[in-house]
Amino acid sequence: MIEIMSASALATVQDLGRCDALRWGVGTAGAMDPLALAAGNILLGNDAGAAAIEVPVFPFQVRFTQDGVFALTGADCAARLDDAPLLPWWAGQARAGQVLSLGLPRGGAWAASRAYLCLAGGVDVPQVLGSRSTQLRGAFGGFEGRALRQGDVLRAAVSGSPAARPTGFGLVPPALALPLQRDGVPAMRVLPAAEYSHYTEASRAAFWAAEWKITAQSDRYGYRLAGPVLEARTTVEMRSHGIVPGVIQVPSGGQPIVQMRDAQPSGGYPKLGTVIEADLWRLGQAPIGSRVRFIETTWEQATAALDETDAWLAEARRLVELARHQRARS
Amino acid sequence: MRFDSIQQLSAWLADTDIAVLELSGPGVSLRLHQGDALGTIEAQGAAPPATPVRPQGLTVRAPSVGVFLAAHPLHSSPLASPGARLRAGEPIGLMQVGALLLPVHAPQDAIVRAVRAAPGTPVGFGTPLFELDPL
Repeated sequence: MIEIMSASALATVQDLGRCDALRWGVGTAGAMDPLALAAGNILLGNDAGAAAIEVPVFPFQVRFTQDGVFALTGADCAARLDDAPLLPWWAGQARAGQVLSLGLPRGGAWAASRAYLCLAGGVDVPQVLGSRSTQLRGAFGGFEGRALRQGDVLRAAVSGSPAARPTGFGLVPPALALPLQRDGVPAMRVLPAAEYSHYTEASRAAFWAAEWKITAQSDRYGYRLAGPVLEARTTVEMRSHGIVPGVIQVPSGGQPIVQMRDAQPSGGYPKLGTVIEADLWRLGQAPIGSRVRFIETTWEQATAALDETDAWLAEARRLVELARHQRARS
Repeated sequence: MRFDSIQQLSAWLADTDIAVLELSGPGVSLRLHQGDALGTIEAQGAAPPATPVRPQGLTVRAPSVGVFLAAHPLHSSPLASPGARLRAGEPIGLMQVGALLLPVHAPQDAIVRAVRAAPGTPVGFGTPLFELDPL
């Protein structure tokens, strides 16, 4: 069991998302960096989709109220267990009373903005509509349908002696194993969407060529980007229609909005493109104020990219299982 | 170690160009020579003392095969530079095996005398990585 010590809001319980509920108008929610969530779970021998705590605001502190194992992935936050520094993307164990502290994310080799704290078996919250993710808009799922507060006590789904779950190893972050940059700037691959052809040739070229700044009006609902003004050749007016995380809408001001994990499931703005599923974690980790670029891609490349991340996860699980097996014997 | 595993290892060894195979684990060490009729197996009655008497220093060896890293891949500063004071059990280097990172621990309180392996290079099991001066 852990107790939240930080007053800072916005940390939420997330899993890989409520992906089968869009037909009822329920957004997906889920981890902004599903790869970090899955990697943290793999480090503990959990299902890749077990629920964890997503931390977007630092510093963040939890106290272990009993012995337990944990894994920390995502942003490198100079974490400490009491006074002992912890390596990033690492599985460790804590004794009752110890305090896990996450500091401000460090830049270093990978500038990221969200950390994931995984527990043995996942964070034990009820499944709602097939997921344990916090649906903030509907105020259900996760921990009481809301962001975590100071004093909240969360349970690991699997309790018992930490000795049963070997720890003390880590993973190389996939940002280093699967890097994607354009001219030194983090990049995401984008599929042109239905209204792409409505934009002027100059605007389409600018979309691919520009660096886009992630503005302060960016959160789990959507990222508002700042860059060149994108102009449609004709005014595009549409009825609301289904949208998914990754869809890039362009409201009349000409500054794009990328729908993120807490996006509502429908919208009426014209769609210029869609950040591919395999690259959404890269955008989900891009800090406010940082710049990103977009690379045009195809359906085949988009599915191949998803295969690549799946292969990374499968290899990570295989190697972690070997390490766990070895440690359990010695 | 079971005797049939030694026979299996010998059989595997015979099919390779490897001259010597050395295995050591808690309480036992095994040495097999290619072409020799003699293999040796040493059972140590008790675990070796935690602080071996080595006035000239303490060698920390690679706990597994892998790529030796002096720093975490996200960081630029090494975990243990020469002159650094170490506490027993703290990670002083990493072994990278694909996506996996395994720690190399300080066996006891010590000061780093030298880093013996070049960071970023593949090393074998038992390759000397650090020389430490025990405290």
